[in-house]
Amino acid sequence: MALQQTELRPMGKSIGRKEDPRLIRGKGRYIDDIMLPNMLYMCVLRSPYAHARIRRIDASAALAAPGVKLVITGEDLAGMNLAWMPTMAGDTQMVLATGKVLFQYQEVAAVVAETRAQAEDALQLIEVDYEPLPVVVDPFKALEPDAPILREDKEKKSNHIFHWEAGDREQTEALFRDAPVIVKQDVRFPRVHPSPLEPCGCVADYNSATGRLTFYVTSQAPHAHRTVLAMVSGLPEHQIHVISPDVGGGFGNKVPVYPGYVCAIVASLKLGVPVKWIETRTENITSTNFARDYHMTAEIAAREDGRVLALRVKTVADHGAFDAAADPSKFPAGLFSIVTGSYDFRSAFVEVDGVYTNKAPGGVAYRCSFRVTEASYLIERVMDVLARRLQMDPAELRLRNFIRKDQFPYHSPTGWVYDSGDYEKTLNLALQRIGYAELRKEQAEKRARGEFMGIGISTFTEIVGAGPGHTFDIMGIKMFDSAQIRVHPTGKVIARLGVRHQGQGHETTFAQIIAEELGLSADDVLIEEGDTDTAPYGLGTYASRSTPTAGGAAALCGRRIREKARKIAAHLLEVGEDDVIWDGLAFTVKGLPGRSVSMKDVAFAAYTNVPEGMEPGLEATYYYDPPNLTFPNGAYIAVVDIDKGTGAVKVRRFMAVDDCGNVINPMIVEGQVHGGLTEGFAIAFMQDIPYDADGNCLAPNWMDYLVPTSLDTPHWETDRTVTPSPHHPIGAKGVGESPNVGSPAAFVNAVVDALSPLGVEHIDMPIFPWKVWSILREHGIDE
Amino acid sequence: MRTYGGEYTLELPREKVWEFMTDPHRVGPCIPDLLELKVESENRFNARVKVGVGPVRGKFDLTCELSVIEPGVVMALPIKGGGMGSGVEMNVEVRLTDVENGTLLKWQCDAVISGPIASLGGRLIDGEARKIIQKVFANFQKALLAAAAEAEAAVADAAAPEEG
Repeated sequence: MALQQTELRPMGKSIGRKEDPRLIRGKGRYIDDIMLPNMLYMCVLRSPYAHARIRRIDASAALAAPGVKLVITGEDLAGMNLAWMPTMAGDTQMVLATGKVLFQYQEVAAVVAETRAQAEDALQLIEVDYEPLPVVVDPFKALEPDAPILREDKEKKSNHIFHWEAGDREQTEALFRDAPVIVKQDVRFPRVHPSPLEPCGCVADYNSATGRLTFYVTSQAPHAHRTVLAMVSGLPEHQIHVISPDVGGGFGNKVPVYPGYVCAIVASLKLGVPVKWIETRTENITSTNFARDYHMTAEIAAREDGRVLALRVKTVADHGAFDAAADPSKFPAGLFSIVTGSYDFRSAFVEVDGVYTNKAPGGVAYRCSFRVTEASYLIERVMDVLARRLQMDPAELRLRNFIRKDQFPYHSPTGWVYDSGDYEKTLNLALQRIGYAELRKEQAEKRARGEFMGIGISTFTEIVGAGPGHTFDIMGIKMFDSAQIRVHPTGKVIARLGVRHQGQGHETTFAQIIAEELGLSADDVLIEEGDTDTAPYGLGTYASRSTPTAGGAAALCGRRIREKARKIAAHLLEVGEDDVIWDGLAFTVKGLPGRSVSMKDVAFAAYTNVPEGMEPGLEATYYYDPPNLTFPNGAYIAVVDIDKGTGAVKVRRFMAVDDCGNVINPMIVEGQVHGGLTEGFAIAFMQDIPYDADGNCLAPNWMDYLVPTSLDTPHWETDRTVTPSPHHPIGAKGVGESPNVGSPAAFVNAVVDALSPLGVEHIDMPIFPWKVWSILREHGIDE
Repeated sequence: MRTYGGEYTLELPREKVWEFMTDPHRVGPCIPDLLELKVESENRFNARVKVGVGPVRGKFDLTCELSVIEPGVVMALPIKGGGMGSGVEMNVEVRLTDVENGTLLKWQCDAVISGPIASLGGRLIDGEARKIIQKVFANFQKALLAAAAEAEAAVADAAAPEEG
């Protein structure tokens, strides 16, 4: 049950979400709700070919069509030095195609008209003369010496983008040479799409009189977008006002800058009126950033008793036509190097090769902290392969290999320092809550009857809170975050943060943090985000970084206000500053419990009665650069039954125990876990973006790319352990990605476990019923 | 690329079939859902056709160019065009062989389809293609037999054409 917000000391309580009355009554304000006078509409012409030379574009018929005001092509942009733009991974990407197209649905031209329908009709009138070129969709074929070179703009004449390594090769090889047990498994994490309910879009409004561009955009990182737009467009940064209104889901998809944004800005600059561009669902799936698409091979060297020694991983990462992956610049494969997971490996060596193919560009951290999802899925799959080889219970194997709680801070063999955790406790709670021993008994009975039931375990360590400026940046901008708190005379607060939520509940959780620090109720605190004119500079919301970074900033900013408040309180209480104690609700005098002043009293005094010489007012700003990342963890268990007749997998139970450190609002954490598990379920059983050999995208809509409904979604059981982060101001770690990082392996492990009597060792996601049915058929099981 | 193929036996002499299929004026109208046919020369014609695969519906403009590879035996018919942001490129090859009761027509078509018609209609495209091809040959056969019947009627005391 959600509590009233008026409660004091609101930290850790399930307070009702402040944003919900607005969102659930349809009173949210999304990009397409923005209507400005004289606004025009833009649509984008896209390439039917995955790889083709453009011989000629003739837009004359489109320009003559009713209502059309402007047609933009790559050549027009080239004249403004805007045909290409930088990507977050340090590559360059075409805004509109010049010379050739590199993936199907690539942006070729943009039409601006009085209505959206006119713009769409006019797209059909643009004549483009394409000369199709050989298409490369398989990243392994793209690396072959005779593969067609896709990026002719690059100096390096190869489709190979980067080679990246982490860990110790020699030590790992040595351990493998002498190891009594070695297991090896190829694993594919399919190309999936974040598919936010609201697609991407923007309204660009350039005012030629003031020289100011107001840019409304579906953005997870408005400040970073403003800086990038300033760098790309040449407009001065203070003359760009980015507003990210309510955002209907981000999941990493709304971190990059897309060609449509740039075109809408160019159109508004040229025409001097507002220009709106809203994607269709197909455009969102086919051209904005995908996620995953990793082809991985892992080997574990272990002792006979199951103790793991070393891990060796080789990966080919399909990045599509442009390397637009969302990774900090120091880590071309993101945080994939956390692939040793929750286990105490003596040594590890990880290699990743990035490859260009004729597919949509991207590689965003979709509910994933920069490739942790791939890493976690891989290690959890291969640990199960090892358990099967040793004929050991997968829970037992994990318990034997966990990093123990007295090993923290733990230095991983690939160079990370895990802050805290108690993995045994978390897994044991999950095993107990689901009744693991009884389930195994039930499974044995069912197996004897020829039925297929499986239990899948996944225990994971996450790495979130992308923040320490010494290690993390996006395009060179260091990844700290910020908060600014203003306490007004009546004790009411407006606080602004550098992050930008897309439904996560920031308006409630940050209000709770600030209220807790100031001795107020969450009702007294209004949170504002997403307006670059008012909010302090921050790097945005993704990779579960908001609570670890902006949450830290909010707490420390609150404490900064308390420092000043204490001085004012001493003045009001007429005692020395050292005699004033903060008891969580008010300032009291040491040894005199009756004498106290509340923050509200202090706030009024801050504007009416400050000590002599003190600057009036009560506000502060804090830029928080965290000392380290945070490492939430969890243990998930899935129980599945397989229908022998159809191959359909029924997830009968799913137990998720998360440890995300101190919790600010348990209800919001639970909501995050439910949502992430549903997305993980979709990835395990429903989702893939396949391409045919000609580079046609075969799942460009929600008919082919499936999104689970409430009828498909299993019932989730959740629980929690708490090991606070020792270095975070409020001991919080972040949770948004965990359920999506941890759950795919639990589902796949359960299905493989169910089919293991048939000798099945691995099945690649998505586990469609036909895949399971084919395996059953192969073994003559067909009811 | 997708490859389709098949064969038909036509109870007509090979020369008659050849003559028919190398004449754009007579082959052109065999295209199903034809909206407009423009014969540019004796071996080149343009066709506008109605297309519908799944959710993608609209008109395609196609350019076809007949070329003789082995007179009386093998003919190629490259077809190129598109519409609605989609493209299609087909290479049809038809080979005629004499058989006991007439002519065996063997055909093969390599098709490259791109754009929304390939991706949105992806799951339906093979079924749709089969349907279109069946229609093409049904029309082809009907027209060919009708032409043959006319010709024979013109020669008088003609025998009624047998049903194929």
